[in-house]
Formats: sequence, structure tokens, C-alpha cells
Amino acid sequence: MGPKKRWTLVIRLMTFVAALLLFVDHQVLPAMPEVDRIVLPNQLVVLVSEDHSLPLVTMRLLVDAGSRRDPRGKEGLAHIAAEGLLLGTSTRSVTVFDETLDFMGASLHASAGRDTAALELRTLEKDLRKGFDLFLEVLTQPVFPEKEIRRQVEKSLAAIQSQEERPGKIASKAFTKVLFLGNPYGHPVEGTRESLPHITRDMVVRFHQNFYHPNNAILAIVGDVTVERVKTDLVPRLSQWSPDQIPEQEFIPRFTQWPMTVTIDRNVSQANIILGHMGIDRANPDYYPLTVMNHIFGGGGFGSRLMEKIRVKRGLAYSVVSFFDPGKYPGAFQVILQTKNSSAQEAISILRAELRTIQKDPVSPKELERAKKYLIGSFPFRLDTQSKLAQFLTQVEYHGLGLDYPEKYASTLNAVTRKDVLRVAQTYLHPKDAILVVVADLKEAGLDESAQVLHFNRPTM
Amino acid sequence: MTPKKNLTPFIGRMVSLALLATLVFVPRAETALIDRVSEKVLPNGLKVLLLENHRAPVVTFQVWYRVGSRNEDHDKTGLSHVLEHMMFKGTETIGPEELSQKIQENGGNYNAFTSYDFTGYFETMSADRIQVALDLEADRMKNLMLREQDFETEIKVVMEERRLRTEDDPKAFTMEQLAATAFQLQPYRWPIIGWMEDLTRLTVQDLKFYYWTYYTPSNAFLVVAGDFETEDMLPRIETAFGSIPKKAAPDQERTIDPPQIGERRIIVKRQAQLPFLAMAFRVPNIRDPDSYTLEVIAGLLSGGKSSRLYHRLVREKQLALHVEADHSLLSRDPGLFFVAAEVLPGGDSTDIEKVVDEELERLRRDPVEPRELQKVKNQLEAAFISHQDSLFFQAMVLARHEIVTGWRTVDDYIPSIRKVTAEDIQRVANRYLIQDNRTVATLVPLPYTEGQPVSEPFSIRSDTVR
Repeated sequence: MGPKKRWTLVIRLMTFVAALLLFVDHQVLPAMPEVDRIVLPNQLVVLVSEDHSLPLVTMRLLVDAGSRRDPRGKEGLAHIAAEGLLLGTSTRSVTVFDETLDFMGASLHASAGRDTAALELRTLEKDLRKGFDLFLEVLTQPVFPEKEIRRQVEKSLAAIQSQEERPGKIASKAFTKVLFLGNPYGHPVEGTRESLPHITRDMVVRFHQNFYHPNNAILAIVGDVTVERVKTDLVPRLSQWSPDQIPEQEFIPRFTQWPMTVTIDRNVSQANIILGHMGIDRANPDYYPLTVMNHIFGGGGFGSRLMEKIRVKRGLAYSVVSFFDPGKYPGAFQVILQTKNSSAQEAISILRAELRTIQKDPVSPKELERAKKYLIGSFPFRLDTQSKLAQFLTQVEYHGLGLDYPEKYASTLNAVTRKDVLRVAQTYLHPKDAILVVVADLKEAGLDESAQVLHFNRPTM
Repeated sequence: MTPKKNLTPFIGRMVSLALLATLVFVPRAETALIDRVSEKVLPNGLKVLLLENHRAPVVTFQVWYRVGSRNEDHDKTGLSHVLEHMMFKGTETIGPEELSQKIQENGGNYNAFTSYDFTGYFETMSADRIQVALDLEADRMKNLMLREQDFETEIKVVMEERRLRTEDDPKAFTMEQLAATAFQLQPYRWPIIGWMEDLTRLTVQDLKFYYWTYYTPSNAFLVVAGDFETEDMLPRIETAFGSIPKKAAPDQERTIDPPQIGERRIIVKRQAQLPFLAMAFRVPNIRDPDSYTLEVIAGLLSGGKSSRLYHRLVREKQLALHVEADHSLLSRDPGLFFVAAEVLPGGDSTDIEKVVDEELERLRRDPVEPRELQKVKNQLEAAFISHQDSLFFQAMVLARHEIVTGWRTVDDYIPSIRKVTAEDIQRVANRYLIQDNRTVATLVPLPYTEGQPVSEPFSIRSDTVR
């Protein structure tokens, strides 16, 4: 059933989460569930949070082994290495492994992102011991069978081809490629058609040997398990995982910092538009005022300026959203929307005008107040399921935010002023140097008369 | 700050939906759920279901209307969903989009959804703020303002939504065509979002009549779950909703298609990267015990990487990128059992179809081995527990059952799954998963007009700075 059948319903906002606490203005103590932080002799950081309301346990391991570690020309290696964990171990073939996991009704997923790879287990409490065995086994004894790795590469290539019928995906890939100018964030996590055929089993094995070590990892354990049991049953086995030196490469954050337009002609009914530029890293102290600014500008769903001007007032789009995606290194700022081809230019003009406005005039006291109330009040949304909490805990640790982060978050946000918002809008928004990507029926969109056409493969700038 | 990006491929989305359908709240103790829900019907006909859960100081408040695309007429498709959008356009006392602002100012989340059988609205907020949701929902149940100017803008938004979800998505477009062929009479044949042609024809008058007919207390019910005391919440609900006048419940009878008597096939030709194959078998819903057997069959076919279709099509033969089987257990009228697969590059959908046929034949012919049957039951039960992790879905699953068979049947799910035997599976496969009872849709990709895939150099120009 397609996206329409069942209750895929047509959901009004793109995101929905579950719930929240509202805290009156300056008091605010978003409830962080109790967390125990244990550092093992091999430097693995283990975060444990008990929740006995369901007979269920979630374990999430974060390894600093994301796609930014991909060697040049071997883009997609980190992704194959993560997925390869589940393709067989020294004691179990992939088929036996899958059947064992399925028989428990458990799930085990491996994936890679830009910065990190993640391995997540979800199991009934009664199967925790078996589940943990499987978890450790894939982590420390994967064999990456040649045949399975080749298949995984084939699948990735097919998935890449499949994505090419999705105009939104085409636009975002083009944006990333143009913006990051070949820096380690500049390629898709899953690699490219050009790079994937060069990936071999040996490279995967080496990548795993290089980066999958406890001193390069964080483990969150959430759910129906006691800290005591973690200490007596799990920690001794985790402690046997041996640490090693992690090879570090230099990350040079290069960006395209001048205006550029990329147009891609497709036979589609909507123009898929991305306007954006360089963003910030997660450690940037202006992260908090920027969060507020972005919420007001285009991050806050209904009530954001972009939503109001583009959707509510003019009916030009179903969805329009802006965001920063800070990583360990600077990410991007993007505004994304889709509108019928013939409205593309109108929508783009509005985006540009709104960028100028938020850089020129302070936001209203009411906008500021509303943004703070929502951001602080809805904070616990991020912690209200086991999986979300596990993800949150590993991120807090990865970015060194501290386990008192929820409290700090509230007080830091509350301190943000209209002046701060104006300052960060002026500092971090660059409408004059933005990259514009449009995937559309260019003729219908009136964008087909592009003057100078450069080929992107060899950017001359 | 980063929006959640949906990178899940089409079939992947089907998986998560299938899992959601099995969600039911099981309390930690072995108490039956029905013992923990309080039901009260107000004098105006509004049914209220209250489920206390004190795990976190949060409440989810949901209003469900028994109206969805099944209630529409064939030339007014999409009306239910457009009305859902218009429900955010204000009442006599609050302005357009003001409801959204009020919820956000109270640190809450909210949303709405429309399906074949229902339209739902919810707010999730801290327990001490939830009164805001009660007041706003009661207000728009009776006082919605349907203004021409708001409608004219919002209908454009819905058209953009349709372009985004369907027009520019070859697989979604194919699924829409499949449903339109598998059914000839019953309203499940048209898409929830409506045909574009119908959207251009809808009027505010249509909406007013629809709202007047279906948005009444006797055609709605509330589900409230979370951190509250029933004896405190119920009087508050009575105060907020009790004064809405009683009206007769609308007629909910709809035509059901007669049995299918032969295979139907369609081909969709349009620009796409990979071929796509989807089959739909006409099946009963949860009112028929065979439906639970179909749940188990869906699990045998595609639940996890050890499932039959995944193993054969993805792992062994490498014919498919994804494969998924999905059963519509909780549809109000009899629905469809789907099998769908995206073909790997260079592959052919007929090869996939052959393997699917072999696997369906195997289901009809050979009894399932006990361990494999147990495996699927374990998966369904674990998923059932796992999904309780979300308060929102605890409420939602009660509502989904309420719409079809009454919320009390929620507790039948696990026992009914446990009861399914190898013989049931053979019998049910022989009855429903047969050629004469199916519709097959094939997406045949046409080459892109420009003749170049996207990974080719695209055009870039230096900007004139604005």
C-alpha cells in the first residue's frame, strides 16, 4: 500500500513526535531521565538509563566512523563497513544470523552517517543475553564475506539509481556536491556510482580495523535493565574489546562561498528548490541563538515566517523548511521547498526577501517569546521513546554537551535576546553568496535560458 | 535543527507502516488492556476513551472523526483531506493558524491525518497544559469558519501536496493506479488525497455540507492517554464538549465490490529509474478471523531478512532491491493484501513475479514448519510490545480498533495470532492468494527525455547577485 493506503494518511506537518512539557518562562528544568555514565578501562563510554515500564531494551553504539572518513575515490566505504557488520560473523553465516535475530523478534540495524556509524539493537528483556551476544559478535567478529560485500555494493548502486527518480534527492545531492567543494562532508554517505565499484573487501576490513574500537565509541543502554546488571553482566565482556590508536586525518572545511545556480531539467510537476550555503559546527557557541533564529525564520513549521509567507498566505507549497545541520565540522544551512514549476521564481524571490528581512530588522518580542516557549517546552519530545533517548544520549556524549544538557539548554535559550537573533542572522546567513539548486521542468519554470553554462565536474573557481 | 529527512525507500515505508498496524498497548502487568481503559458516552453521543499512563508527565489528546475518503462521492474525491486542512483555519473566536500557535506556545505538538476511514487530530502536551487542547478541539468541532479566501489558498497547498506525494513519484503513482483497478465500486478505489481533477472542482459549499454532516459528536470519539486522573479528566471533557448539540449519526454504509472473478493487469509507463511490480489481492478485514492468518502470512513473506521473499528475491537471486508484503488488517471495509517489489537494475519484473508465484504456491501447498511459524509469531508479538514505547501509538491503536470492530477487540490481537495454525495458512492462501483474486500493476520505466542520468554533469551558472 502505497504511501496512501493504510494510515499513511496525509500527515499535515512533516514531523510529528509525541509530547511535551511546557515550562513557564524562566524556570524550566526539562526532565532528563536518570543516567549512569561508566567509563571502561578500554575507554568505552557506557550510558545507562533504566526504564522498566516495558519489557524492552534498546542498545545503541555510536562509532566515530562516518563517511567523512571515506578515503578519496572510495566514497561509500564507511557505509558498506557499517552495513557489512550484519553480513556474517566468525561463528554465524548471514543466513543463520538473520534467522536467529528474527526468531527473537529482535531488530539490529547498522548504518553510517556523515560523522558516525551506529549499531542499534532492540530486544525483549527476556532475550537480552542472546541479543547482547549477537551485538558483540557483529561488532568484534565480523568477517565481511567477499560475496556479501560485493552484493552490498550492488545494492547500494541500485539504491542510488532508484534515488535518481526522486527530484528532492537529486536536488539535495547536487547541493551537497556544489557546497562542500570536495571536503569530507561533500559526498553522499552511500557513495557514488563512480566510487562504489572501487570498494573491495580488504578496504572494508581495514576500515573496520582502523576505526571500530572502544576508545572511538559510545554505548547507550536504555530500558528494562538495571545498572547493576549492566555492570556485572555486560561490562566485563565489553571490557574485552581492545582499544587501539585511531588514525586521524585533517578535516579542511572548504566551501563554495560565492553565488551559484544549479539547474537540472526533469519532467516533473514541481520545482524542487534548495537555497543555502555554509553553516556551522556543533561546537559553535552561537548554536543556541541560531536555533532560535532558524525556528522563527523557517524551522518552526506553522508560525515560521517562511511557512506563513509561502504556504499560508500564498498557497505556493505544502512544505517549506529551513535548517542548519551542524556536525563535528561545519555543515550547511538550507531552505527546501517544492512548488509547481510555474511558481518557482516567485517562491525563490520570497525566500530571498525573507532572508534580507531577518538580517535587517530585529524579530518581534512575540516571535522570540513564542520560539523559546516551543523549543524549551518541546525539548522532552526528544527523549520520549527508548530509541530517541538512546540517540540523544550518544549525541550528547559525542559532542561533549554534558549530562546536564537539558537544563543548560533551557537556560541558554532563555538568555537569547532579539539582538542576539539579529546578530546571528547577520553573521551566519549569506543570501548574497547562496547556492540555488532547482530541479524542475525548466521551461515551465522559466529557467531554461541560463546564460553561462559551466560543467560542474571541473569547477574552475 | 535538522529536520528529519525521509531517506527510507518506498518499500521501507511500507514496512514501518505494517509494523505500526500491530501496535497495541500491553501493560507491564499481564492485565488486559480493556481493563485499563474507561469508556464514557456523553449525552450528545460523543464517546470518550481514557487510558491512564503515568510513565511521563505528558498527555496525548486525540479527536477521531469517522470520516475519510470512503465517505466521499466519486466526483468529490479528496474532500475529507481538504477539510482536515481547513480545520486549522480558525473558528468564530480564533483566527487562521492561531490554533497551531497556541499549541506551540504551550510547548505542545499537534498534527492531523486523513485516511480511508477516518480523520484524526491530536495534541500532545504536558499534563498541566492539556486543557488548551480540550478547548481548541471542542471549539472547532462546532464552530469552524470555512472562509472562501482561506479555501482558495489552501486548495493550492493540497494540490502541491498531491504533486509532491504522487505526481512526481512513479511508485506512488503506480500504487494509486493499482487500487483504482483492484476496486471498481467501493471508495477505496480513489486516493485519499483525491484526484487532481476533483480537487480543481471542490467548493467551500462542498466543505460546509461535509463538515455539517460528519463533524458531529455522534460521529466522533476522543482518545486521551497519559498522565491524568480519570475522575479529573472526564468532567473537564464533559464541560468542554458536552454543550455541542446532538445530531443524528451519518449513514456509514458503503458499497462493497462483488468478488473478483479473474486476474486484472495494468501497466504504467512513465519516466522512472527502475521497474516496479505490485500485486493486490482482495481480502477481508479484521472482522473475519482469516485476517489474522493473513497477518502471519505477510510476516512469513517479508518480515525480516530471513523471510521467504526477502531471502529469495533480495538475498538469493538478487532480483529485487526491496520486497514487501502488507496486509490491511484494520480497514473498515474489506481491503487489499499487497506484495510489491522494486526491480534491480537490469532485472525484469516478470522474473520477480515468477518467484512470488512460486512462493504463494508453496504457501498453498506445503504446511509451514513449526519453527518458522513460531518465528513469525515471535516477531509479531515483539513488535506489539515494542510499539507501546510511544504514548501516541497506544492511543492510536485503540482508535483504529474502535473504528472497525470496537476498541475492546484490541486485546484479541495476540491471542488470535497465537491461534493461527499451519493448516489455517494453507487454507487462507488457497482462498485469497490466488491468481483470480488479484490485480497486478507493473511500472515500465520510460527513458528520460534529456537522455542523461543525473550523475552526468548538470548545468551551473554563475549568479548575478540579487
